[in-house]
Amino acid sequence: MKTLIVQTIRIRWNTISRLALPIGFAIFFALEPATGWPQHDHPAGQSFPPVAGNPAISFDLQALDGKPAGLTNFRGKPLVMNFFASWCDPCRDEMPLINELASRAAKDGYNVLGIAVEDGRAAVTEFAKEAKLVFPIALDLNSTVKRAYRVFGPPATFFIDAQGVIRDIVLGPMTQERAREGLKKAGVAR
Amino acid sequence: MKASPTKSLWTTACFLLAGCSAELIPPHRGRITPLSLGPEIQLGDSEANPSTPFLRFAVDGKLYAIWTEDESGQKNNPSSLSAHQHSGKMAPSPLRNALLAASSDGGKTWSASKQVNSGAEAVQGEENGPKVAFDASNRPYVVWSIPGEKGDKTRANIRFAMADGNGGFTPARTLNEVKDAARFPIIEFSPDGNLLIAWIDRRIDNPKPRQLYLMRIGLDGKALTKNYAVGEGLCECCKLGIAFADGGKTVYMVDRQVNDKQVRNHVLRKSTDGAATFEAPVEISDDGWQVPSCPHSGPSLARDRRGQLHVTWFTLGRSEKDAGIYYGVSKDDGKSFAARQLVHANTAPEILYSTLAVGEDDTVYLAWSNLDGTGKAQIFMRSLAPDGRTWTPIQQLSNAKGNAGRPVLALRKNQLHVAWTETDGEDSRVVLRSGTVDQ
Repeated sequence: MKTLIVQTIRIRWNTISRLALPIGFAIFFALEPATGWPQHDHPAGQSFPPVAGNPAISFDLQALDGKPAGLTNFRGKPLVMNFFASWCDPCRDEMPLINELASRAAKDGYNVLGIAVEDGRAAVTEFAKEAKLVFPIALDLNSTVKRAYRVFGPPATFFIDAQGVIRDIVLGPMTQERAREGLKKAGVAR
Repeated sequence: MKASPTKSLWTTACFLLAGCSAELIPPHRGRITPLSLGPEIQLGDSEANPSTPFLRFAVDGKLYAIWTEDESGQKNNPSSLSAHQHSGKMAPSPLRNALLAASSDGGKTWSASKQVNSGAEAVQGEENGPKVAFDASNRPYVVWSIPGEKGDKTRANIRFAMADGNGGFTPARTLNEVKDAARFPIIEFSPDGNLLIAWIDRRIDNPKPRQLYLMRIGLDGKALTKNYAVGEGLCECCKLGIAFADGGKTVYMVDRQVNDKQVRNHVLRKSTDGAATFEAPVEISDDGWQVPSCPHSGPSLARDRRGQLHVTWFTLGRSEKDAGIYYGVSKDDGKSFAARQLVHANTAPEILYSTLAVGEDDTVYLAWSNLDGTGKAQIFMRSLAPDGRTWTPIQQLSNAKGNAGRPVLALRKNQLHVAWTETDGEDSRVVLRSGTVDQ
């Protein structure tokens, strides 16, 4: 009986040892999807995560009219920075409110910048015309700014104070209440 | 009663060995060799910013590609040119055409492309590009969407055209009976012999999110049904997926749902009466991604010969660490889905796009976008063996200078084709890679 047990165990272990390499491969490939691709750092130049309290991440883009629309072009005044796309339903829904904020910006001492993501010049130009947008729009054609600000899907709005610090973030459509709150946090006295 | 040490040892050993046998000696014959694909081929007029490809085989084995390009009439528009940064390049225009071309040699060479839309239109792209289906006599039928009357891309219209028998296409007509309310169309030649068209509709704008609408069209292009709703609660900006069984009597559809808390999980819908009605949707995976903004990335569905349903999708999940491309399978005809498998984790904050196709041996091929080590979106691919567990290594297919996105697959016998859009600044191009797989 003992001999039989020992033989069985020996056969089992022999089987396992013969299978060690393929088993190793199988485990490796089974686990590989779970561990995923090597994680990479965020885009170059990003020093701080884009969260409230951190300095806004610098960028250089061009507006639809060809003028520079980088972050430094808006320094000195609070900035409402809205990421949107012409194909995005909630972006279109909130756009009248963003446009209203822009129409009061000069009087209340702040700027509004639209950043079009995953969109083309022609479509954005049409949208700006159709929606009668009164604020500058920058084209983030290679998605670098969207990624730096960790915008998974438009719309998203960042309220940045006059010193260039992010004070509030609204992910998803803007509301009157959140706009008031964001402007207040960014130092806009109304 | 006290167990003897020898007996305990023996019992433990038996359990361990039984466990080892079950876990370590699976009877799989999975493939782990990487896929082999040929060099990149560009489709379309490189001066006209080709984008948003879709691939499909006709019954005769020809591979077709449809994509969009800038309207050629804009080429010499001085006012548009002044805004464009690339001298000599076609000016950007909201007017885009749908182009169709065929390859008889496995994607190596292509026929001259034919414009499908009869008039100048702003044929939409992104998740919402044109789609083509073929009947048993290889006749193409095409759907696409154009912005609504006021130019609103989100209040759009579904257009339809078919080959006119003289080498061209019939004049396009609008399929949605309520204007400015439909987009994300798909078209399929149903095994029961006519065309099934589906789209996301917003004719009822509130309080519910979007509806799933269908209609049937005969091979002569005439409507066989009016528009009819079969589902609701759809995410407004994510593509649909579809598969057939039982000669077209059974129809499966997948879409991204959005609930009242803005959680956007995916569901499978099943019809057993040829898409006239659908059973209650079955959740594919409780990912829990709560997002009030636009995911603009929908699921993809395929059915294998065993009747298993394969789905891939993107989700951010309940936290960013869960973000990535996932795969799920139903082995009980859509009643339930096995726990999701992570195909590729997000390498950076980014919406990813995925698609899949199933081979004749039930191998599942997946393609998707993700960021590479330099922060650019690229196309990746891997396959899953019929055992459902053995994955090939992840392969990067593209080397885009800017970004690559929205891959599509076509698979027939041992021919595998992958196409995608690459963008760099204001330029775009359509890239195709082809290869053969073991079947």
